[in-house]
Amino acid sequence: MKLKRLTIYGFGHFHDRTFDLTDGLNFLVGPNEAGKSTLTQFITAILFGFPTKKHPELRYEPLDGSRFGGEMQFVQADVTYTVTRTAGPHGGKVTLHNDTTDLALPANNLAGLLAPVDQQLFTSVYAINEPRLGQVFAASKQELIDRLRHVGAVGSDFWLTQAHQLDQQADSRYKPQGRNPILNQQLQAHRELTDKLAKADAAYGTYWQLLQEQQDLRQQQAQTQDQLAQQRQVTAQLTQQAASWPAFAEWQRLGQLADQPVPSGFSADDATQLEQLRGQVTATEKALTADQQRVQDLQQTAQLPPLFQEYLPVAAQVDPLLTQLPAVQQAAQMQQQLAAQQRDLQQRSTALETQYAVGGQMPRPFSLATLQQVKDLQERLTAANQKRRRIQQHLNQLNERYQQQQPTRQQQRNPLADKQLIWLAVGLVVLVGSLLLPGTLFKLVGALCGVAVGYYGVFQVDSSTPASRELEDLTADIRDNQAQLREGGHLVDDLTTQLDVIGEAHGLGNVPLAQWSAAQTAIAEWERLSRQMEEQGAQLAKAKQTIAEFLTAVGQVLPSLATSDFATVATQLADLQARQQASQTQSGELASLTERLRTDQRAADEASHALAIFLSTRNLRSVAAFYDRYQTQRERQNQAQQRTTLAQQIGPANLAALQQVADQASLTQSVQQAQTQQAQLQQTLDQTTTRLATLAGQLAHLTASGTQATLRQRLANLETQMVATTQEWLVQRLTSQWISATLAAASGDRLPQIVAQASKLYGKLTENRYTEIELTATTLRVRRADGAWRNVGQLSRGTAEQLDLAVKLAFAIVMQQQVAMPLLIDDGFVNFDADRRQAAYALLAEISQTVQIIFLTADTAVERLNTGNLIRLND
Amino acid sequence: MKFIHAADLHLDSPFLGLTTLPSSLLTTVRQSTFTAATRVFDRAIAEQVDFVLLAGDLFDRAEQSVAAQAYLFQQFDRLNDQHIPVIISFGNHDYLADQHQTVAYPANVTVLGPDVTTHTLTLASGETVAVSGFSYPERWVPTDQVADFPAHAETQWHIGMLHGAVATGTSDHYAPFHVADLLAKRYDYWALGHIHHRQFLAEQPPILYAGNTQGRSINETGEKGAYLVTSQAGKLVPEFFPTAEILWEAATLPSTATDLPQLTTDLTDWLTANTATQATLTAVTVSSAALTGADLTSFKNGEWLALYQRTHARQLKAAQRYLIGAKLATNQAQPVAPQLDQSYWEQGAAIIFTTDNLQTTFGKLAQDPALAEWFAQPDTATQVHEQAEQLLAELMGEEAHDEA
Repeated sequence: MKLKRLTIYGFGHFHDRTFDLTDGLNFLVGPNEAGKSTLTQFITAILFGFPTKKHPELRYEPLDGSRFGGEMQFVQADVTYTVTRTAGPHGGKVTLHNDTTDLALPANNLAGLLAPVDQQLFTSVYAINEPRLGQVFAASKQELIDRLRHVGAVGSDFWLTQAHQLDQQADSRYKPQGRNPILNQQLQAHRELTDKLAKADAAYGTYWQLLQEQQDLRQQQAQTQDQLAQQRQVTAQLTQQAASWPAFAEWQRLGQLADQPVPSGFSADDATQLEQLRGQVTATEKALTADQQRVQDLQQTAQLPPLFQEYLPVAAQVDPLLTQLPAVQQAAQMQQQLAAQQRDLQQRSTALETQYAVGGQMPRPFSLATLQQVKDLQERLTAANQKRRRIQQHLNQLNERYQQQQPTRQQQRNPLADKQLIWLAVGLVVLVGSLLLPGTLFKLVGALCGVAVGYYGVFQVDSSTPASRELEDLTADIRDNQAQLREGGHLVDDLTTQLDVIGEAHGLGNVPLAQWSAAQTAIAEWERLSRQMEEQGAQLAKAKQTIAEFLTAVGQVLPSLATSDFATVATQLADLQARQQASQTQSGELASLTERLRTDQRAADEASHALAIFLSTRNLRSVAAFYDRYQTQRERQNQAQQRTTLAQQIGPANLAALQQVADQASLTQSVQQAQTQQAQLQQTLDQTTTRLATLAGQLAHLTASGTQATLRQRLANLETQMVATTQEWLVQRLTSQWISATLAAASGDRLPQIVAQASKLYGKLTENRYTEIELTATTLRVRRADGAWRNVGQLSRGTAEQLDLAVKLAFAIVMQQQVAMPLLIDDGFVNFDADRRQAAYALLAEISQTVQIIFLTADTAVERLNTGNLIRLND
Repeated sequence: MKFIHAADLHLDSPFLGLTTLPSSLLTTVRQSTFTAATRVFDRAIAEQVDFVLLAGDLFDRAEQSVAAQAYLFQQFDRLNDQHIPVIISFGNHDYLADQHQTVAYPANVTVLGPDVTTHTLTLASGETVAVSGFSYPERWVPTDQVADFPAHAETQWHIGMLHGAVATGTSDHYAPFHVADLLAKRYDYWALGHIHHRQFLAEQPPILYAGNTQGRSINETGEKGAYLVTSQAGKLVPEFFPTAEILWEAATLPSTATDLPQLTTDLTDWLTANTATQATLTAVTVSSAALTGADLTSFKNGEWLALYQRTHARQLKAAQRYLIGAKLATNQAQPVAPQLDQSYWEQGAAIIFTTDNLQTTFGKLAQDPALAEWFAQPDTATQVHEQAEQLLAELMGEEAHDEA
C-alpha cells in the first residue's frame, strides 16, 4: 500500500487541506504545533476508524465546525482506491471507491485490503514516534513473533481468528483469575461444597463421641440401676430398722439389766432351801418356846427362885461361869490379901517419905561414884576437923603463954619502930633540899644523902631487943597457928560446900551429913516398897479385872445379877450351882426337859446358824433381802425372756445393725441419708435415661440426616462436571496453542531474516559501533564492535531508540512481500546526535527505495538533504 | 458348613461420573450401597450361615461417613442376635488406623489385626474352621504378606482372607501376591477383596474376588454381589448371588442419524428393544452418526440429552434406564490443512502435546485434587490430544465450508 494523497475535510486545526505524497521518502516539515501528530493521527483514523467519543482528545474533531473527516487515495496491488471517513457511528462513516475501475466498494472491504495489518500492528510497527521508540520491542521475542505470526503465514488470519475464538471459549471456561468462567464457578462451588462437607464431616467426630457417650451411659445406667436396687434394699432395711427402734430400745434397756452380773444362789431352788431353813428355824423355835413354856410351867410348879428360872434358859452359858467360880473366888481372896499388903507397904512407904521427903519429893539415891566421893569427902572433912581441933588446942596454949609474957600491950611495942617516920621525913627533906642546891653534882650528892638517910631510918633502925625477940617468936607462932587454923577452916568450908552441893543435887539438903548413910538405906527401902506396891497393884488389878469380867459375863447371862457385887454374885452362883446340882439330881422331868430344852436350843441354834450361813454366803443380812434379790432375779429372767422375744421380733440382722447405731437420731439421719441417696441415684438414673434418649435421638438424626451422602454425591457430580469442563478447556487451550505453534512454525523462518536485517541497519545507525543483535526467547541484546554484549537496559536512550528503529525498519523491509504499509515516522530522531541523525536520514533514503516513508519533523535540516518530497506544513 | 464371602461394600461412597441425577433416583443411589450390603446380611441370616467374611473396604475411612458406621453397628448387632460371627480384614479404604473407633463392634465381630492372624471357629456342626488374614494398618501395604500366612491348620477347613492385588512388579501398593503362593498354602478357600470386578484366580481350591456389592461408576458394569460358599463333598463351592440395587451399563447405540430428530427416534427404538431388568445407569455411545453444525453442538454440550431426558421420561422409566451420558464414536479422520502445510501442524503438535506443556497449561488447576487426579490418569493426555485433533478437524471443515 502506498499513500498517494491525503485530503482533510476537517481534522484538528486542518481543514480543506490536501497533501500529495510520493512512493518514496516524504518529509513533512513544520515547527511545533504545525500539525505533525495530527497528520499521523489522521492517517491512522482514516484507515482504522475514529477513536470513540470517550477519548475526544484523540478524535481531533475540527474546532471551526467544518466537516469532520477526510479522504485518502492509496495504491494497493496496482489498484488505486479512495477511502473517505466522516463522522458516524462505529469509527465513522466509511466509503471505499476503486478509482481504477471507478467502482464503489463495500466499506467492509477496507479491512480486507489492510489485512493482515490492523490498527494495533500499524501503531506498534509502522507508526513510529519518539515515545513509542524503545518501547515496543523491548519486551521479548514473543512480541516480535506475535507480530510475525500476525502477518507471517498465508491464511493465518483465519487461524488466528480461530485461535483467538478458542482462547475466548477457553477463557469462558476457565481463567486462572476471575469469577465468571464456568470452571472458576465450579471450583468455587467445589470449595463451598467441600467446606460444607467438612462441616458435615464434623458430625463424624460427634458421632463417635456420641456413640462413646452412649456406651458409657449405658454402662453407667446399668451400674446406677444396680446401685439403686442396692440402695432401695438399704433404705428398706434402714426404714425397717427405724420402725424397730422402739423395740430395740426396749431390748437394749432390758439388755442393760441383763448385763448386770448375775449373782448365784438366788434361784428357785435356793428359795426353796431358804424356805426349808426358815421352816426348820420356825419349827425349832416353836419347839423351844413350847419347851420353855413347859419348863416355866414346871418351874412355876416347883417354885424355883427367879434366878434359877433365869438360869435355866441360859444354863449353857452359865455353866462355864460356874466352873470358873472357884478360881474367881480365889482371885477375890488374893485381892483382899494384896489390898492389905498394899496398905502395909503404903504405911511404911509414907513413913519413909515423911522422914526424908522434901516437898513431897523423896531424895534420890547416890550413884556408886557419888557414894565414893561422899565417903572420901567425909573422911577428908573429918581429918580436917581433927587437924583444926589440934591447932586450936596448940593455939590456946600459945595464947596462954603469950599472955604470961606480955603484961601490957604497950610494952610489947618497939620504940624505934616509931622513929622510922622521922628518918624518912629527914631523908625526904635532905633530898628536896639537895635539889635546891646549885650545881648538878651537889644535887646528886644531896639526893643520895637524902635516900641514904631515908633507908637508914627504915631498915637500919629496926633492931630489937632479946626480950622482945622471944615475944616476937611467940607472937609469930600464934600468928602461924592462927593462919593454919584459918587455912583449916577454909578447907573445912570447902569440903562442906562440896558435900552441900551433892546433898542439894540429891535432895538431901535437909538431911544432916551424918544421916546420909541412913538416908541412903531408907531410900533403897522405899524404892523396894514402891516396886512391891506396883507388883501387887498389878496383881490386884488383874484380880479385879478377872472378877469384873466374870461379873460382866454373869451380868450378861443373868441380868438380875448385873448390878450385884462379886460377893453376892459368888454367893448367888454358888447357890445356883448347888441348886442346879440339886435339881439335876432331884427332878428328872425338869432335867430331861432341860435336856430337851437344850436340844431344842441347839436345834434352834443350828437352824438359825444354817440360816445365817445361807444368808452370809449370799452376803445378805436378812431373809427379806434374799427375797428382794430373789424377786429381782425373777424379774430379770422375765426381762431376758421378753428380750429374746423382742430380738426375734427385730430379727438378728437388724439387731446386729441396730447395735452399730448410736442413737435414734443418727438412725433417722441414716434413713434420711439413704432416702436422699436413693433419690439422688434415681435422679442420676433418670438423667442418664433422659440423656440416653436424647443421645439416641441425636444419633438417629446424625445417621439419618443423609447430609454427608448428599453432599458427597453432589461433590462427586460436581467433580465430574469440573473434569468435563477442564477437559473442554484444556482441549480448546491446547488447540489454540497448536494453531499458534503451527503459525509460528510457518512464519518462524522470517525471524532470522529480520534479526539479520536489523543488525545491518543498527550498524549503520550507530556508525558501526554495534555489529550484532541477538534475540532470545525473553531478551534482546546487542554486541558492540569490541565484542562485548549489552542488554537493552544498558543502552543509552538514543541508542535504545536506534535499536528499536532498526528492528522496526527491518520488520517493515522483510515483511514487504506480505505487507506493504508506509512507515509513518513522527519526530523519531530527537534523541539522536547529529551524526547518527544524518546516518538515519541516509538510511531512510535507502529504505525508501522499497518502502514508502512519511517522515514528519520539526528539523529543518531535512530541507538541505535534497532528497525526497519536501512538504512544509505551514505553507 | 456355609459362609458368605463379600468384599468392597464401600458403604455410603458416592457414585462417580454423574453430573445430574433426577431426585427420584437420588435416594435410591444414596441408599444403594447400604441396600446391597443389607442383601448380603439378609442372605446370611436367611441361610443361617456359619459366619460371614468381609474382605476389606467396607467403607471409606476418608469419607468419615456416620451413616456407614451406624449401619455397620446395626447390621453387626443383627448378626449378633442370630449368633453369626463376622470376620473382617480391613483394606486400603477402611484401614485400621482410626482414633475415633473407640466403641467396639459387637462380640460376634472379629477384626483381624495388622499382622496376619488366624481366627479359629467351631461351628454348630462341630466342624472347625481357621480363618487367616490381616487388616491394612494404613492406606498402603506395599509388601507381599502371603509368606506370613500359616500352613493349613489342624482344623477341618482353613480359609485365607486377603485384600490385595496380584503383583505386577511395579507400584504395588495393595498387598501384592502371587496366585502360586496362595495355592502353595493348600488352604480350602481364598476370600479376596479389593478388585471390584468379581473373578476367579483359581477354581480349586477357589481363589476369588467377590467383587463389590454395588457398582459405583461406569467402569463397574454388570451384576454385582457376593458369594455364598457351601461345603460339598469335602470341597468349598462358591455360588454368586446378586446384590446391586442399581446397575451400570455402557451401551452402544447403532445409529447412522445425520440429525438429532433421527437420533432421538433411534434412541427411543433402542430403549424399547433393550429394556433393562433393573434400574440401570446407561452411558450411550452413538456409532456411525454424522451430526453437523448446531446438531453436533447441541449433542456435544448435552442439551440434546437433557431435552431427551425430559421429553422421554416415560420411555426411560419403562426401560428402567437413566442416561448418564451420550457421546459419538470417535471420528478418526486426520486433519487436513487446506492452506498450511501439514508439516507445520505436526511441528506444532510436537511442541504442544508434550507433558511439560500440558502441565504448564494445566497450571494451577493441579492444585485441585479431583482435577489433578483426572489429569494424572494415563489416558487423559491421549484423550485430550484426540479431542484437540477432532476440534481442529471440525475447524478445518468450517474453513473448507467457508471457502465453499
